[in-house]
Amino acid sequence: MIELYNVTKYFKTGGKKKYILNNVTMTIPSGVNVGLLGRNGAGKSTLLRMLGGIDFPNSGIITSPNSFSWPMGLAGGFQGSMTGRQNVKFVCRIYGKSDYEIEQAIESVREFAELGDYFDMPIKTYSSGMKSRLSFGLSLVFDFDYLIIDETLSVGDKNFQEKSKKALRKKIENCNVLLVSHSMPVLKEICDVGIVVHQGQINYCETIEEAIETYNNINK
Amino acid sequence: MNKRTSMEIFKSVVLALFLREVQTRFGTKKLGYFWAIFDAMFMVLIFAGLKSLISAKSMPGLDFPVFLATAFLAFFLWRNIVTQSINAFSANKALFAYKQVKPFDTIVTRVMLEILVSSVATIVFVMIGLYFGLDVSVKNFNMVIFAVVWLCVFGFAIGLVSAVLSYFYEFYAKVIKVILSPLMFISAIMYSVDSLPPLAREIILYNPLVHFMEMIHGFYFKTLDTYYVDYEYMMYWTLIPLWLGLFFYKRSEKRILSS
Repeated sequence: MIELYNVTKYFKTGGKKKYILNNVTMTIPSGVNVGLLGRNGAGKSTLLRMLGGIDFPNSGIITSPNSFSWPMGLAGGFQGSMTGRQNVKFVCRIYGKSDYEIEQAIESVREFAELGDYFDMPIKTYSSGMKSRLSFGLSLVFDFDYLIIDETLSVGDKNFQEKSKKALRKKIENCNVLLVSHSMPVLKEICDVGIVVHQGQINYCETIEEAIETYNNINK
Repeated sequence: MNKRTSMEIFKSVVLALFLREVQTRFGTKKLGYFWAIFDAMFMVLIFAGLKSLISAKSMPGLDFPVFLATAFLAFFLWRNIVTQSINAFSANKALFAYKQVKPFDTIVTRVMLEILVSSVATIVFVMIGLYFGLDVSVKNFNMVIFAVVWLCVFGFAIGLVSAVLSYFYEFYAKVIKVILSPLMFISAIMYSVDSLPPLAREIILYNPLVHFMEMIHGFYFKTLDTYYVDYEYMMYWTLIPLWLGLFFYKRSEKRILSS
């Protein structure tokens, strides 16, 4: 469950405040997978970052008793000079995993991400697709209540996309997803409810179909 | 997931950051270890050489290269703590994607790493000194260690203030760099305060680093004392920046994370 009380978030651009959320109060119930929709720059990613605890509202409170993954997105969350393996170790360490668990995690991420020799190369040599594969593979190692996914399911070739979706479907038997995607089929397949972010307001829709419809209406 | 206390999280984050810093600093660049020792060694050689050229008589009762080495090692430790702290936030920005990692942790990590590097360098220096038959004996070991630990806290305090300010004001980063570069010459590293003319003595004692260097020298060498060390002055220079640093940091942590 995620609760937002009077949450306001804005950015200042050229002296003018651009509102992402303007005094929003909302409850996302437990046990549902949430799709986030909105135009580019509407603030979907910022909302995800706030839910994940690495960005903060200008006023208001966001609370949840649950644990969240880091936002998995094309932007990374990886240190460019470290190799894939070192990054996996790093993340395992900050989550307090033991050496034995770290070894296991490395094995499973290496297998899943299909990076080959790149696994031992610096992240800065990776393509954005490779980074997302590493990030997603790494998240599968942990037991979060919520996975935060920002547009990463559509990377890689058809094969890898299928594999990711399969892994995700298996994962969401035990956890929930907060998903940003512009792909309607993906949203329909994975999400139960939808949130449309538009001009500082949030529209919570009980079904993902309703959310897609709302989103389409905005774009008309 | 099981809940961990914030102290447990802090410890595991600092350990993870520490291992990462060691790897990137020394793993990818093989010369990393070399540079850690080279800069202090270079300075000691230069100034020991200059001194022997300029005047034959050096300080009585002590080996001048040891006098230089103690102060240069301490000064570089302090300076590296400050400069590494300034860059800590931007160098670890990508890792703030994990909410466990706080900007503060990156500074703590870098201070610890500098202390490790300096310790290794010190051991190498002592071994070289012994090899050349220099007198490396310490008058008051505990007080020297105390002075160095205090120096590290002082460096941490200045580093924290500088890191926060220079993250938001590029101007400040430039100013601190300008201040740092001549500090080496006005911090009583290659001379003692006692050897200066009275007016210069009075002026130079406004520099807090001078007190730290005098304290280290005074407790290290049998023939030197800590006459000019003003502990109260050092305390002000430690506590005020420390308080300011923590205050500025607390106020801007969220802005650093989300920028």
